[in-house]
Amino acid sequence: MHAIQQQYWAVRDYLSPVLKESKFKEHGRITPEEFVAAGDFLSYKFPVWTWEKGDASRARDYLPADRQYLVTRGVPCLRRATSLAYTDADEDAERLLSFGDPSSGAADEWVETHAGRNATVDSAANPGEIDDIPDLDGDGLAGAMANVSMTSETGATVGETPDLDDIPDMEEDGLEEDEDEATMAPSAPKSGVPTSSGVIDASQVGVANGNLLQVRTYDVMITYDKYYQTPRIWLIGYDENRSPLTPSQIFQDVSADHALKTVTIEGFPHSALQAASVHPCKHASVMKKVIERMNAGVVQEQLAARKNSGKPQDKDKDGKKKWAFGRKGGKDDNLKGAGEDEEVEGMRVDFYLVVFLKFIASIVPTIEVDSTTAF
Amino acid sequence: MPVVQFAPFASLVQPGFWHELTRMKIDVLRLSDEALTVSGSYSVGRSIRDRETGQDIALGCNLIVGEDAYQKASQLPPMSVAATGVFKNYNTIEDFKAADKAALCNDVASKIWDSIISTKNTSLLTQFLLITFADLKKYQYVYWFAFPAFVSKPAWEISESGWKPAQDEIKGLESIYDSLHKSIQSFFLVKEVGDIVVVGSVEQYDAFFAGVAPENRIIGFLDPSALPENPGWPLRNLLTYLRVVYPSQTSSIRVLCWRDSEKPIAGNPWKSRFGVVTIREGDPTAKPSAIGWERLPTTNKLSARVADLAPMMDPRRLADQAV
Repeated sequence: MHAIQQQYWAVRDYLSPVLKESKFKEHGRITPEEFVAAGDFLSYKFPVWTWEKGDASRARDYLPADRQYLVTRGVPCLRRATSLAYTDADEDAERLLSFGDPSSGAADEWVETHAGRNATVDSAANPGEIDDIPDLDGDGLAGAMANVSMTSETGATVGETPDLDDIPDMEEDGLEEDEDEATMAPSAPKSGVPTSSGVIDASQVGVANGNLLQVRTYDVMITYDKYYQTPRIWLIGYDENRSPLTPSQIFQDVSADHALKTVTIEGFPHSALQAASVHPCKHASVMKKVIERMNAGVVQEQLAARKNSGKPQDKDKDGKKKWAFGRKGGKDDNLKGAGEDEEVEGMRVDFYLVVFLKFIASIVPTIEVDSTTAF
Repeated sequence: MPVVQFAPFASLVQPGFWHELTRMKIDVLRLSDEALTVSGSYSVGRSIRDRETGQDIALGCNLIVGEDAYQKASQLPPMSVAATGVFKNYNTIEDFKAADKAALCNDVASKIWDSIISTKNTSLLTQFLLITFADLKKYQYVYWFAFPAFVSKPAWEISESGWKPAQDEIKGLESIYDSLHKSIQSFFLVKEVGDIVVVGSVEQYDAFFAGVAPENRIIGFLDPSALPENPGWPLRNLLTYLRVVYPSQTSSIRVLCWRDSEKPIAGNPWKSRFGVVTIREGDPTAKPSAIGWERLPTTNKLSARVADLAPMMDPRRLADQAV
């Protein structure tokens, strides 16, 4: 038994320098091991995120085979970011979010832009190209077809309009002619009127609010980008009828500062898919700034915790905040021997992806990718 | 009393499924149009609160097929269950159009019925049918899903009190959550013994409910619907199953629609719903007719639909888009 433990320590010693070498606080980049650690933390704390293997032939050997990338599916997106045109009058819409354990009094604060902003009237009246994907339902096909052209922001047609002419009317007559009374009619009941418990159907939202709100969903993936040494985010979107979104439709959900500049369509590294991705060239510097700010708060808090308590490790173990910034801290300290580590640790790298998601949320403000607001 | 209206499944096909179909069609299937077995999944019904209006918005009753649909074992997201399906790809659009849709749907329904009669296994109750025609050159995929469900005659009715929050009726939601979290089941039984609730599988109905009063018996299912008044599609076939296999005990059933993917944060209510459904006398042993072809979401008509993947797959279009 002891031998196994020694083996374990040997392996841990062998691995730990890699983690210590990393200076994620200095330059915002992380190692693959830290990516896995941060991903483990994210998926442990927020089970909507899960690890995926991806295509075995495309697996990256510096990541564990069963932890190639993180994925969460069906992330809702209620409004288009393009309808959130940012004006000076909205400057005050920023909101400080408390971010941490409020009871400790030293919670970190976070600025949320776009807080409570209404969709601009103009964009509601001019929904642009968020019309329905055409179906094969005869009439209206030609009209609907006009809307699938890939139009860039300037209105220039980028791609050719696909030719659906040779796929004929596909409606079936004589199939299930009887209306089934036990099948919920999609639009008939309580159209637009919220039910007693206030839940409305996603397909009815536009009717209910009169502001052309269309609920899209996104599958969001996080991969590790070896070159930039940061996580990288990928998006695959579906419209309210569950048809895949075209690139130009996806760009409607990206804030204007980033669409077509930092967000592009590229091959997803772990399968044959093409997906929208936020280019990671600026991730490290942004993450560095964010981490610096947060770290200052965390260090202060930890120092305060040590002053207040003669046995910092015990405090750490029992403290409510332990899981957030020191989940591994308590354990490691105990293994090393309590009390010999006088250095203040600051923010753990485990927390990296949680912070990263908050940063990504500013690029795609209407996609509810940041499920971590619970704390 | 009002008739129970079930929220139909809505298919969601991930682009990875079409990529994989393209690859298989070229490398493996070629000209074969044999039916294949594929797998999909559905999760508990989810809703999201609109921060601007404070309203809860139900996110569709989705059955998802993805890239791993062709593999035997696929990884499921939390609080999701698998559903098996019959997948048939036609080589020409004419074949696709000429296919006898009613017969195809009835074939799957017969398989479900046979499993109810012979094996009494609930794992085959939720099955789907998917027919496609893939235009590989244009990256366009014509497809149509069917989710066969039996039409109960007379129809199931919901009691006067209607569908209400499960926490008003059932004390032990937390222990139900724990046991579902440990091993997720599409359908399950719950019995209340004193203050304790116990979860069991439907296959052990007789042994599980032996000596349990009818008012302490609950039938539960993982509910993909998030609409307060409409239970999800899988309940239809489960009710048919119970009616056929246990006709004497099931003229009134207490139903738990399980909709919680995680324990509610302090102060928030559980999302699961509860209702008592009843049925008037009929002949449960006669095979009911089945329905289930998916309707177009835009027009609510029975029709195939097209996934146009050209913007995301056509190399020329992608090259145009890249700046």
